[in-house]
Amino acid sequence: MSENPEIVIDSVGEFLVHALELEEASSDHYEELADSMEIHNNLKVAELFRKLGDYSRQHAKEVHQRTQGVELPTITPWDFKWKCPSSPESFCMDGANYMMTISQAMEIALFNETRGRDFYQQVADSTPNDEVRTMALEMAEEEGWHVEMLREWQARLQDEPPLEDLDPPNMPE
Amino acid sequence: MNNENKVSQTTGSFSVAITGSGGSGAVTAGRIVLEAAAHCGYQGLMTRSAGPQIRGGESAAMVRFSADPVECMGDCYDLLVALDWLNIERFADEIPLSEKSLIICDPAAGEVPVQLRSNRAEIREVPFKVFASGLPEGRINMVALGAMAMVCGLPLEAMEASVSGVLQSKGEQVVESALRAMSLGYNHDRHPVNPPLPQVKKRSVWSITGNQACGVGALRGGVKFVAAYPITPASEMLEWLAPRLEKLGGSLLQAEDELASINMIIGASFGGVPSLTATSGPGLSLMVEGLGLALVSETPVTVVNVMRGGPSTGIPTKSEQADLDIALYGLHGDAPHLVFAPLSIRDCVFTTQWAVQLAEHLQTVSLVLSDQSLGQSQAIIEAPAANAIPWKRAIETEPDAAFMRYRITADKISPVTLPGTPGGMYTADGLEHNERGTPSSMASDHREQLNKRLLKLERFDYGDDWAEIEGDGDDCIITWGSTAGVVKEVARLLRQQGRAIRTISLRLLAPLQRQKLGQLIEGAERVLVVEQNHAGQLFRYLHAQAVLPEQAESLAQPGPLPLRPGRIIRALADSRVS
Amino acid sequence: MPVPALKAKDYKSGIKPVWCPGCGHFAVLAALTKAMAHLGLVKEDVAVVSGIGCSSRLPAYIDSYGFHGIHGRALAAASGLKAARPELTVVVAGGDGDGFSIGGNHFLHACRRNMDMTYIVMDNEVYGMTKGQASPTTRPTWRNSKMTPHGTGIPRFNPAAIALAAGAGFIARGYSGEPSEMTRLLVEAIEYPGFAFVQVLSGCVTYRPDQRGWKEVVHPFINDVPTEDRIKAAQIIQADDGKATGVIYASPYPVWQPENEKETELALLEEEFSL
Repeated sequence: MSENPEIVIDSVGEFLVHALELEEASSDHYEELADSMEIHNNLKVAELFRKLGDYSRQHAKEVHQRTQGVELPTITPWDFKWKCPSSPESFCMDGANYMMTISQAMEIALFNETRGRDFYQQVADSTPNDEVRTMALEMAEEEGWHVEMLREWQARLQDEPPLEDLDPPNMPE
Repeated sequence: MNNENKVSQTTGSFSVAITGSGGSGAVTAGRIVLEAAAHCGYQGLMTRSAGPQIRGGESAAMVRFSADPVECMGDCYDLLVALDWLNIERFADEIPLSEKSLIICDPAAGEVPVQLRSNRAEIREVPFKVFASGLPEGRINMVALGAMAMVCGLPLEAMEASVSGVLQSKGEQVVESALRAMSLGYNHDRHPVNPPLPQVKKRSVWSITGNQACGVGALRGGVKFVAAYPITPASEMLEWLAPRLEKLGGSLLQAEDELASINMIIGASFGGVPSLTATSGPGLSLMVEGLGLALVSETPVTVVNVMRGGPSTGIPTKSEQADLDIALYGLHGDAPHLVFAPLSIRDCVFTTQWAVQLAEHLQTVSLVLSDQSLGQSQAIIEAPAANAIPWKRAIETEPDAAFMRYRITADKISPVTLPGTPGGMYTADGLEHNERGTPSSMASDHREQLNKRLLKLERFDYGDDWAEIEGDGDDCIITWGSTAGVVKEVARLLRQQGRAIRTISLRLLAPLQRQKLGQLIEGAERVLVVEQNHAGQLFRYLHAQAVLPEQAESLAQPGPLPLRPGRIIRALADSRVS
Repeated sequence: MPVPALKAKDYKSGIKPVWCPGCGHFAVLAALTKAMAHLGLVKEDVAVVSGIGCSSRLPAYIDSYGFHGIHGRALAAASGLKAARPELTVVVAGGDGDGFSIGGNHFLHACRRNMDMTYIVMDNEVYGMTKGQASPTTRPTWRNSKMTPHGTGIPRFNPAAIALAAGAGFIARGYSGEPSEMTRLLVEAIEYPGFAFVQVLSGCVTYRPDQRGWKEVVHPFINDVPTEDRIKAAQIIQADDGKATGVIYASPYPVWQPENEKETELALLEEEFSL
């Protein structure tokens, strides 16, 4: 865990490795959540996570394209310059559970996307490298757009009653 | 004293019991007699008995030898050598004497106890103590050995060779003094048994215990890993195996308990290394859950259970055949597996090897039911020739994309990949699974895998080794495991009396070769099922499998006393006729 | 360049976990596959062994050889496998009930025996698979199980203290909310030559929703550097609140592995019986 006071990323390679890790971890995590929500028949929430996973997967692809021709450094999993214990869009906030409502899921998503946007913004603010700054700002903008979209979505949500656990957990073994 | 009429009571063999306080050397004397008999070309058997103390107390060695294989003790001992009379009453049950027996004892040890006088055995007094004290480091057991050799008709040269061999490690002086003491005993009263045992040609023999013989069988079967927890009476098998496994490139791991040992061998076998453990009843009880895991994950393992008196702690140092029920039925769920029982010390070699290789081939659990009477007895046997059993595990070294660990094949045996093999990765599971090994609770997968695990055992051709069948006749005795020895002796005795009899000694108890057994019993007038337990476990099993005719009877005698030929002959005479 | 390096995802089998959404075990799976990728482990040379419980489902989710055995006996099966096949990388996974209750004896002796393997215990202080009973690490006053309506009333099992006392040479604690840190711990554990014990605080969202609060209380060990000093390690563990993470103790100990160079033939050994 690296609670660095300031994130300084000064090469395009290092930045892209971070971006790639962030987006891939994010899509993996959303897909995992979507899969397990489906198993628990919480289909609305599964759909939300599935959609977010798709966005991140799309982002990851875009980042991957940018890496063409760039020499990428190897960064060990614990040496990424995240400000939270894992990559910003994945494990920073838990609280998922199979009874969660769509608005609770939305909160997690909003938290994650905000952390993602902030990460890119911080890189842009502190990097001495112009090329990195340009890229980071672009990505921050894109994440910012996600955040906005989620906020709009959230505003449209109607109050829903908490789910009831009509079929309590099994004892598989 | 005239011994002209002292004829060996069971034709063609001689049996002697040596008793004394623990430390007086009864067991060493027994070993020397046994090996001397081997030097003369005889085969033999030595069992031991002791009090509950770790050491000291009282101790007895019983030796029987013959020109033929010796696989049990007879009805009566020809000779009792009492080094002293300490707690002799403890052994009275175990050492039956008759008016034809001879007792050799030291007058200095006191009066012959009343219960021994009551059987009117003849008594020969030899001053053990006087002779021994006249020699530096003179031992009374060596004086007694000399007197015993004279009575047994074992030549002094054979005794001397045996003494030198057994006492070699104790130094020259000890051997020298032992030889002098023995000579004094030998020459004290030169009246041998008449007639002596027939002379035999010297042949290639082994001196071995059943526990060691199971060890040899395990190694011959290819076992390279053993994990085990010490337990009486199985520990000697493990102690014998540990250093030898190492020399053969394998290893033995002393586990923290039997739960660990069974799971350790399952882990090792999952890695592709043929693996085994040895234990006794209480340990087997702890292993049962693991057996189910091995069976369902189709990970081959062999467990040698050296049975002792049960249930619970029971009688740890004495023999009983009372673990058939747990071996057959102890597992939860429908859990078909292999159960074997060696029929003699010599057969421990073959049966254990067979069990290991069939476990490997059929990817299942083999239980081998040896017992204390086999495991801890020393025998002189004809050396068992190396036996090339072809069965081994089907290993897939180049799995293709279609590889499935639990594929349903024609013989229901699925080739297995071992860790380290690219493309063959799977997770072995105690959960019910489908052909791929993925956990499944679907009825169709369960049924298919249950069938697979059953049919691979049922359809396999076990050949002729499932039982030893001797003779033909109106009467039939069925037995299993170690009591085969005494049953075969009964048949010999009855044949000498001109009676025709068939004996069937089951080596493979599960899956029961029902049809073959049924054909052998068909038409028999008397059918007697003989075993050493209280409930008649084999008798009930055979009834449950509907192979016994209505008139069949059970002779079930619990341990710790061995079954004797006379008891079986009486039971057969008393049993119903069809 | 040789074959491209495998990514963490390549070490996942593709089988979807049975775990509840939000379960800490997802993070352990992620961290383990990251550690495997970082170390460049050859998939087929890895065996993941487990017992019974939610966390023990892990082997099926890893693309390697796996053994999902019976309750409490994972360490025994793994020890047999490692003794027989020392060249394999052996990882054992399980939960607090499996490892510290029914498998407690094997835990002690695996620490003592110090065979080269990694033992990950996903500790959520509850039996999830059987519907939420108290485990050895549950606090004595936790009353949410019908089986122990007044709480267990007995002190908690202290895994790190017991591992140290039993002779383990590598002891670490991770937290499912810190997967990067956990990855580092697992890499160190797998690289450690000997028995490496990693307790992972891995919350149960279903039976212990209170564990969501762990992220507020988990903190690094004050002494962030792994100590080689047993006495110091003992002091750290005794002063510990059970929520500190990091490597607590790492000291080289002699590794147990059977020595078995084949040096003879069975036929020669059998001659000892000939008279």
